[in-house]
Amino acid sequence: MPIPASEFLSVEKYELGNGLRVVFSRDHSRPVAAIYVIYGVGARSEQRGRTGFAHLFEHMMFQGSANAPKGTHFKLVESNGGSLNGSTHPDYTDYFEVLPSNKLAVGLWLEADRMRGLSINEANLANQKEAVKQERRLAFDNRPYAIAILERWPELAFRNWANSHSLIGSFADLEAATVDDVTQFFKTYYAPNNAVLAIAGDFQAAEARRLIEAYFSDIEPQAQPRRPDLSEPVQAEPREETHRDPLAQVPAVVVGYPGPARRTPGYYRLAMLDIVLTAGESSRFYQRLVKGRKSVIQYEANLGWPFAGPSDYRDPGQYAMFLLHHPQVSAGEVVRQVEEEIGAVRDQGVAEEELARARTWLRAARMRQLESSRARAMLLGQYELLDGQPELVNTEIGAFLDVEPGEIQAAAGQYLATQRRSVLEIAPGGGEG
Amino acid sequence: MIDRRQPPPTPELPRYRLPPVVETKLANGLEALLVEDRRCPLVSARLGFPAGSKHDPAGLYGLAESTAALLTEGTTRRTAREMAEEAAAIGGSVRAGAGADTLVVAGDALAENLGRLLDLMADAARNAVFPEEEVQLRKQNRRQELLAQRARAEYLADEKLTEVVLAPHPYAHQSPTLESIDRLERGLLAGFGRGHLTPAGAVLILTGALPPPAQVLETIEEAFGGWEPRQPPAPPAARFPEPSRSITLIDRPGSVQADIRLGRLAVNRASPDYFPLLVGATILGGGASSRLFANIREQRGYAYDAHSAVHPLKDTGSLEVVTQVRNEVVDAALEAVLAEMSLIGRDGVSEEELSTARNFLSGVFVIRLETQEALANQLSVVKLMGLPLEYVEQYTARVWAAAPEEIRAAAARYMNPAQAAIVVVGDGAKILKPLEKFGPVTVERAG
Repeated sequence: MPIPASEFLSVEKYELGNGLRVVFSRDHSRPVAAIYVIYGVGARSEQRGRTGFAHLFEHMMFQGSANAPKGTHFKLVESNGGSLNGSTHPDYTDYFEVLPSNKLAVGLWLEADRMRGLSINEANLANQKEAVKQERRLAFDNRPYAIAILERWPELAFRNWANSHSLIGSFADLEAATVDDVTQFFKTYYAPNNAVLAIAGDFQAAEARRLIEAYFSDIEPQAQPRRPDLSEPVQAEPREETHRDPLAQVPAVVVGYPGPARRTPGYYRLAMLDIVLTAGESSRFYQRLVKGRKSVIQYEANLGWPFAGPSDYRDPGQYAMFLLHHPQVSAGEVVRQVEEEIGAVRDQGVAEEELARARTWLRAARMRQLESSRARAMLLGQYELLDGQPELVNTEIGAFLDVEPGEIQAAAGQYLATQRRSVLEIAPGGGEG
Repeated sequence: MIDRRQPPPTPELPRYRLPPVVETKLANGLEALLVEDRRCPLVSARLGFPAGSKHDPAGLYGLAESTAALLTEGTTRRTAREMAEEAAAIGGSVRAGAGADTLVVAGDALAENLGRLLDLMADAARNAVFPEEEVQLRKQNRRQELLAQRARAEYLADEKLTEVVLAPHPYAHQSPTLESIDRLERGLLAGFGRGHLTPAGAVLILTGALPPPAQVLETIEEAFGGWEPRQPPAPPAARFPEPSRSITLIDRPGSVQADIRLGRLAVNRASPDYFPLLVGATILGGGASSRLFANIREQRGYAYDAHSAVHPLKDTGSLEVVTQVRNEVVDAALEAVLAEMSLIGRDGVSEEELSTARNFLSGVFVIRLETQEALANQLSVVKLMGLPLEYVEQYTARVWAAAPEEIRAAAARYMNPAQAAIVVVGDGAKILKPLEKFGPVTVERAG
């Protein structure tokens, strides 16, 4: 399926002497520019006894740097009309500033200042340990389904500790983190050669290059960190577990299968199969489980769920789904119905018309996503960090659209087979589970 | 030579300029606004009615939102499934929802399918049949969704604060109850739809890669021209009581933190107090450089989140402060929040804070209007709230025009701690005593 040129973004890429990779995508139609800095370190880089460290470190990135004392980062971005944040993922940690376009220089200065020299001290570390503990109480311990999804599910789906441990970490591990640990982590992972700087929106390339040269080019590179061994044993038996959630009122079940390697043919096939099965109200799950059988109330599904989507999925990962279901239907019955839908694709395939709808849906969803400069910068940064090819932002869609009906049918049998399945039942109420 | 020790100087913020808007009105009263945006071959549409939950009769909370949800579940021309498949086939979706003031049918599609999109949206708004089976499924699912929502502390806190601040006005009930869901019936939904969904008083916003205006207007006329207007029902009277201090604890045993809300009745966007209050609330808790963030999170380490916001409605509005703290510091945190709330009204704000808040509000306003859907949403809010279109372009200027004395006066009035309703969701066994230091506490059970 040919993609019209009007759907293409401009993409420029270069590298500084210290190994910092820079990606630009210019579009002058709105006076907005987004800066996105992505570092090749995440929760899967953590050591035993240090769970939650990558995320605690992300907090430290907002606590001040050599020329921007504590509080300056927030104040400078907001007083220049921008917004900012950071987030920690299994394989990367990212930071963004979205600014009115004539304020771009401020964001670049801030990102360079903290990449060059972070202010790491006892007071900031103690304070951020408290903030993270509060974040854990808010987003995990006090919220229904959260512990099940974010902690029990990875433990069930993965056997390698690097993949299965908690991203936010335990209170004990957080307490154990020292200033020396933080300093060493910064040195190892926050080097320019382990990062990508992406800018999207309304800016002049020559001016941006000049600023980037002045701010970033003499930050010292470090030895390239090794990606830890993340390999998982082949799953030959289905896994099943029940988690009792005293905060939940409505039962739910998580179902997942090990996914293919990123950007292999299987990855594109499974992504298209997911659209046919679960995307929007015309999908099979919606029409047959929510509507026809009236067993499922709401669901979400994705390659990489709950930590990623297809664009930042990295293996080993799972194609997984969360289904909130009616109390009078058992989790086992919901799983049986899910497998029945998978089996229908495996045995009968998909109709041309159904696939045509899925392709159109994907093309339109992709364009919608790329309307915001922040989303464009994110995608460019992720493509460069994970694949070394930011131009995929324009070309990769073709690989999804080229998937044939027979390939989707084969993917259902190959990837979503019962012996590869993990099921986490989330039962409301306290007690042993 | 660039001095790397100092942040770089930058020019003043650019002013927001609204792209040209083509405005027209059909003979049946439907107002249409078109804004061209050719960046990508997509269109976004909003068909908005002044038919939000404030029109729900007492005891039938959730009527507006369920009516909206059923619009796309079967019409005289299409089954629910046909509608879903056709929307997906044109590269988009059609869905409807209701807020406190408005009911909006929202659609999007690949630009080449504009005609089919408008045909789907008109079908939903004009021809919904509310099939019995779909109504039953909606009731069954909404019940479970509500149970799932009410399992979340923040949902309980928001729901209770809205009730305490806005009662006895119907704004107090913006979400359904289990009992009100049980009472919803096909006839009630169809009646609400018949009464409220009329082109008189409604607005259609189109943004995106549109054909020339004359051609778009023809397409609009085709989809909506034959729609007979009716007088829409009058909204409930805009009467609100004097705000006063109350403390409500929703006991949620086992909570590992206390979810704290403070709120007070404020004003709508048309009030002269609105922009001074907006700037004041931004200085109080609107971002990571605000007073609440600096004090409650960064200095004391009590909370991950501490913020304040203004929630404008059509006929009034409210000021809200939100934070979630560990049980042991609930009284210390509440004291600190109340102190911050009274300070702006007493001492005013600094030049630096004022400049930060003005720039933050103006810049973020421009950034938020970057996508065609965001602009369509903004225009539909402006029209349905009865504001002039100039509101969008004047937003930044009005943020800048809010004078320090006006901000102080607005804060003294709307952030007055003595008039703030306090709602806390948490473990009563651990936090009731500390809360009683602040006055008599009404205790309710969660669930």
